[in-house]
Amino acid sequence: MAVTIFADVQHNRVVLFSILFAMLALLAFSNPVFAQQDDIAVNAALSDLNARSFKGKTAAVEALGLLGDARAVPTLEALSEGRLYVRKTDKSVVIAERAGKAYLLIDPVTGAAMGEATSREIKKIIANNKLRGLIRGVLGQLALSSSDPELRRAAVENVISSPTNGSLALLKTARDREIEDDIRARLETGIATLELGSDDPGLRRAAVDRLADGNDPVIKSLLERRLLKNTDGSFVEPDAGIRAEVQEAVNNVNDRLALFGLAEDLIFGISLGSVLLLAAIGLAVTFGVMGVINMAHGEMIMLGAYTTFFVQEIFRATMPAEAFGFYLLASIPAAFFVAAAFGILIERGCIRFLYGRPLETLLATWGISLILQQMVRSLFGANNREVANPDWISGAISIGGGVSVTVSRVYIVVFCLVVVAALAAFIRYSRFGLQMRAVTQNRGMASAMGIRTGQVDSLTFALGSGIAGVAGVALSQISNVSPNLGQNFIVDSFLVVVFGGVGSLWGTIVGAFGLGIVNKFLEPVAGAILGKVVVLVIIILFIQKRPRGLFALKGRAAEG
Amino acid sequence: MKSAIKTIAAVGAIAGSLAFSSVAHAANTVKVGVLHSLSGTMAISETALKDVMLFLIDEQNRKGGLLGKKIEPVVVDPASDWPLFAEKARELIEKKKVDVVFGNWTSVSRKSVLPVFEELNGMLFYPVQYEGEESSRNIFYTGAAPNQQAIPAVEYLMSDEGGSVKRWVLAGTDYVYPRTTNKILESFLKAKGVAAEDIMINYTPFGHSDWQTIVSDIKGFASAGKKTAVVSTVNGDANVPFYKELGNQGIKAEDIPVVAFSVGEEELAGIDTGPLVGHLGAWNYFMSVDSPENAAMIKKWHAFIGDDKRVFNDPMEAHYIGFTMWVQAVKQAGTTDIDAVRQAMYGQTAPNLTGGIAVMNTNHHLSKPVLIGEIQDDGQFATVWETDGVVVGDAWSDFLPESAKLTADWTYPWVCGNCEKPKYLTN
Amino acid sequence: MGPISRRLFALESRSGWTAIAILLVTGLFIVPALNLMVPEGSFFHISTFWVATLGKYLCFAILALALDLIWGYAGILSLGHGAFFGLGGYVMGMYMMLQIGDRSVYGNPDLPDFMVFLNWDSLPWYWWGFDQFWFASLMVVVVPGILAFVFGWLAFRSRITGVYFSIISQAMVFAIMLAFFRNETGFGGNNGLTDFKDILGFNLSQGSTKVGLYVVTVIVLLLVYMVCRAVVSSKLGRLLIAVRDAESRVRFLGYSVTNAKLFVFTLSAVLAGIAGALYVPQVGIINPGEFTPAKSIEMAIWVAVGGRGTLFGAIVGAFTVNGARTYLTGVAPEIWLFFLGGLFILVTLVMPQGLVGVYRSIRSGDLKDAIRRRIQRVDV
Repeated sequence: MAVTIFADVQHNRVVLFSILFAMLALLAFSNPVFAQQDDIAVNAALSDLNARSFKGKTAAVEALGLLGDARAVPTLEALSEGRLYVRKTDKSVVIAERAGKAYLLIDPVTGAAMGEATSREIKKIIANNKLRGLIRGVLGQLALSSSDPELRRAAVENVISSPTNGSLALLKTARDREIEDDIRARLETGIATLELGSDDPGLRRAAVDRLADGNDPVIKSLLERRLLKNTDGSFVEPDAGIRAEVQEAVNNVNDRLALFGLAEDLIFGISLGSVLLLAAIGLAVTFGVMGVINMAHGEMIMLGAYTTFFVQEIFRATMPAEAFGFYLLASIPAAFFVAAAFGILIERGCIRFLYGRPLETLLATWGISLILQQMVRSLFGANNREVANPDWISGAISIGGGVSVTVSRVYIVVFCLVVVAALAAFIRYSRFGLQMRAVTQNRGMASAMGIRTGQVDSLTFALGSGIAGVAGVALSQISNVSPNLGQNFIVDSFLVVVFGGVGSLWGTIVGAFGLGIVNKFLEPVAGAILGKVVVLVIIILFIQKRPRGLFALKGRAAEG
Repeated sequence: MKSAIKTIAAVGAIAGSLAFSSVAHAANTVKVGVLHSLSGTMAISETALKDVMLFLIDEQNRKGGLLGKKIEPVVVDPASDWPLFAEKARELIEKKKVDVVFGNWTSVSRKSVLPVFEELNGMLFYPVQYEGEESSRNIFYTGAAPNQQAIPAVEYLMSDEGGSVKRWVLAGTDYVYPRTTNKILESFLKAKGVAAEDIMINYTPFGHSDWQTIVSDIKGFASAGKKTAVVSTVNGDANVPFYKELGNQGIKAEDIPVVAFSVGEEELAGIDTGPLVGHLGAWNYFMSVDSPENAAMIKKWHAFIGDDKRVFNDPMEAHYIGFTMWVQAVKQAGTTDIDAVRQAMYGQTAPNLTGGIAVMNTNHHLSKPVLIGEIQDDGQFATVWETDGVVVGDAWSDFLPESAKLTADWTYPWVCGNCEKPKYLTN
Repeated sequence: MGPISRRLFALESRSGWTAIAILLVTGLFIVPALNLMVPEGSFFHISTFWVATLGKYLCFAILALALDLIWGYAGILSLGHGAFFGLGGYVMGMYMMLQIGDRSVYGNPDLPDFMVFLNWDSLPWYWWGFDQFWFASLMVVVVPGILAFVFGWLAFRSRITGVYFSIISQAMVFAIMLAFFRNETGFGGNNGLTDFKDILGFNLSQGSTKVGLYVVTVIVLLLVYMVCRAVVSSKLGRLLIAVRDAESRVRFLGYSVTNAKLFVFTLSAVLAGIAGALYVPQVGIINPGEFTPAKSIEMAIWVAVGGRGTLFGAIVGAFTVNGARTYLTGVAPEIWLFFLGGLFILVTLVMPQGLVGVYRSIRSGDLKDAIRRRIQRVDV
């Protein structure tokens, strides 16, 4: 039998193991006689799930497992996912699916429909983390012999991260059967982690060899633990030769992890940079191109985020559930137009009276930002609004070494690059872009050439505001959607634009990513707060050297 | 420059009229001051408390008011600006002549108004869980002290049922409440035999929005093979990006549970809670608790506010208990006189919405039950553990050497908020 | 009359002096008398609330003067003046913190409560000497002064002007805010310094102390006003106005623009520091909230509302905006930001010279013309 690597064998692990074997046996010999084991026992265990204490519920889950009845699987899944209820009238345990205001009840054993109920007629059976862990173990290890390779892949990781008494035997059986190479490799690694504690020095040495070329922090800490001393002063790893090998393996893994650490900082930096860029890109138009200090820029981002919320609510109310994930795409044009409309309103109603007086624009737009904040607060309430992450934007991609990139951040990086590229192309190639550049470079001459400068001003401001609104869609995925949303970004956005060079789109991009990456490399060293302080000081000192930013405009346009 | 004289005269006249406009007072109502930020950063949390005060006052007026008079709410907006809190507190007490004030959320705002309440002998009900280490004669603390929230939560996680956690991340926003709580927890954990290397402490600034590095650090810390939990005292606004990052990086509650002391139903209403199921909260009240009092209260609240999606949370229950006790104390004293009401407050009881009876102790803190809940996908908590009875709020933590020796007791013979020995004063 | 006093009197016109005299009498004698001598409940009684609130406004007025000096006259818009104001306040706060002694919560005679709490066993070096009032008073001037000098030297030498200067001054105040939020920085973190007991032995919670502080603030405001008046009427003042209107030209004429700007910027920071030092004992708390960029922006708005480029306007602006805030947060707590935001927009759009400008237009009877001219101009 397997050698335990953990001294503290817990009761539930033993139970888990026996459940598992019972279930495996059941699957192996599944025939009608087994499947129709006495329904009375199943039903008794089911009603025990409604026990008052978690001890009772744990016992019921264990009992259900021990029965080895495959019919228990949907019940356990439902319990783990919070879909298992008790009908108050007859105390029967049911699976309830939400359908509008009511719930559809399903018999957990037969899967038969049991009619509808309101939320008051049923009561949820609550699972806690421990219970969910237990269920995950049972269901997960069962999946090792699943025919779906994806399920197996996940199951191997589950077993490696929480091994039990029977894991070694299970993994070995699974390895012998496995046809996919990558899964077999993970199974070998899993076996090696368990054989690190074997009584056979040969097996231990082989395990260390096997693990030495991994780059997983979990495995590193497993190896490190072999180097420690027991309480009685003896080494955990009795063989000095193997200890040396373990030490070398740890060093190797550490070297690789350090590289991954750098990669991680870089990725985080790019991700933070993309957020800064998104926040600043609209400002690069209104401030960079037009020279308007728009303190209400942050509020344009906020309006975009609230539009996202609004579109989401419309989708929730009117669209089928499958279409819900696309609300985010629909929000992009919506947010653009809402923010652009506000932009036109602000430009026509206020800013156009103040051209050539940048500092007074600052004060007026500050007033506008106060009004917009209060408006949103009065309309939507002061608290945060929930904006859901659609499924296609959730989750993470592991790139090894304990480093993973979250999908939403990848999308944000891509999204912000697309927005910038589209903006640059628009300014460079479109007719309006040409007019825009003409007006900002020489207003009088542009006007003489027949360009309606007033209109161009409005539309340019609308463009900048609209892009800020689009940024709000992306930021709603990682940030609070509250009336204060804009305030959190305003100082950073101005710094990015000034640092990059006013009027230079390219400068804004480099500035944003530069600041993001520097910040993320400083954070592990100096801490989140000091890191940011250092970045600010760097910016202040940098501006001394290049008072017009990284990519300063040359010539007359620069003499603001 | 003759013009200047006239300007001054005009300004003087206006200032003068402002100054004297508040002299005449009609004493035919009982005035209750509401000092919660309705704008600025704290409006997110505090606006709901203003609403609940209007609701409670409305309820009481329907029952016939107080001492035969109507209760009149006096709402002001201190705008999340700490010195403005002090100004508004002075305005409420001195100018508007309110009989009691319900208000504040942040510790710094409480510290800002405290000298004003002590100087003018006002009465403040403070409804938010806080760091303790304070007991003012003029403040009643109806939120949880650390021993009514943090310590039970950690004990639960250490237990078999809570997952036998052996390794701890104490993550908080860098201000006094997380600092104190983490300090108390650190000494508590060490007393329970947790080694120093199994505790990781991390502080972030207010409104911290980029959690990538820290969540990744937590993952690294948790990969050491011991069951790890995060005790979060991260403040309101920073929580949404924190939880979103946790969910995105695939940290599940079964692996690394996060127990938070500042995240309640109101905060969860702004988050998609799907990925957070199983993370924990520790409070004295959950909206999901199935009791007749709670159901009735929520029904009335929804009717008052006209929106059946609005949540009810722990600080709101604290205001409910505080207001109920104050009304009873005024009735018993037969007056709204601060000193008389204060005496009547001691030992005052009120039913908790979750069952059991809350008691006002002589250290100005409540005895309340402690509940631990797991977040559900509908944004509510499901209670997974609760104390048998009520826990007495402790103003001075026993786990900090400098405060363990202090006692708060405002009745004879102590008559003191932070003393090592009684003062023997008759108030 | 000696030459100095003659020069002093020449700073202001006869009616100007009369106005100042009336204000002084009101501020110095009438308000305190109505507060201290007239019994409460009397029609003429001025409550301590008003004394404390007016005292606060007076500090803001000093701050507004300081900002107007550089923005209105030298064209330097600092969006980081909260840094100097806050630092002055912190210095005074440190003095009062060390006066608490063993009356603190944890009763440690040497260390403030928050240091006991952080397990520090001795005062950090940068707290040394602040138990002496003279030292603290000196530092009120020196600390903001040095920061402004260094920052200004870096900025003006590199000819950072206009918007660029505004943005990096905002970065400066933001950096200071973050640093002061950290508990390890040693200034009490988010809660800042509070729980003060007395100043120079006077109990802060006593009404008479409040009136005393108020009177001191009135006098300081007068002095600061005179200093600013002296600066702007001097040759330097004319140079500054020239810099504001055409910096390059002044430079080409051979004047040292950098030195002139640096002097007035440092002076302004020192005045802001003094305002902060007077502010803290009156409100009883200083914390990093004073360093939020929003507060610094608001200071510029006081000046704009009153009328930049007129010293009197800065004072009027500080009183108007803060008075409006006090009033509106009390009577319209739910919607007051609409009014305040609207006021800012209105002032910048139709009152480019601020309230003082409007007053002057009314005096000269051409208000309507002015507005009409303005609208016509922008329509082009």
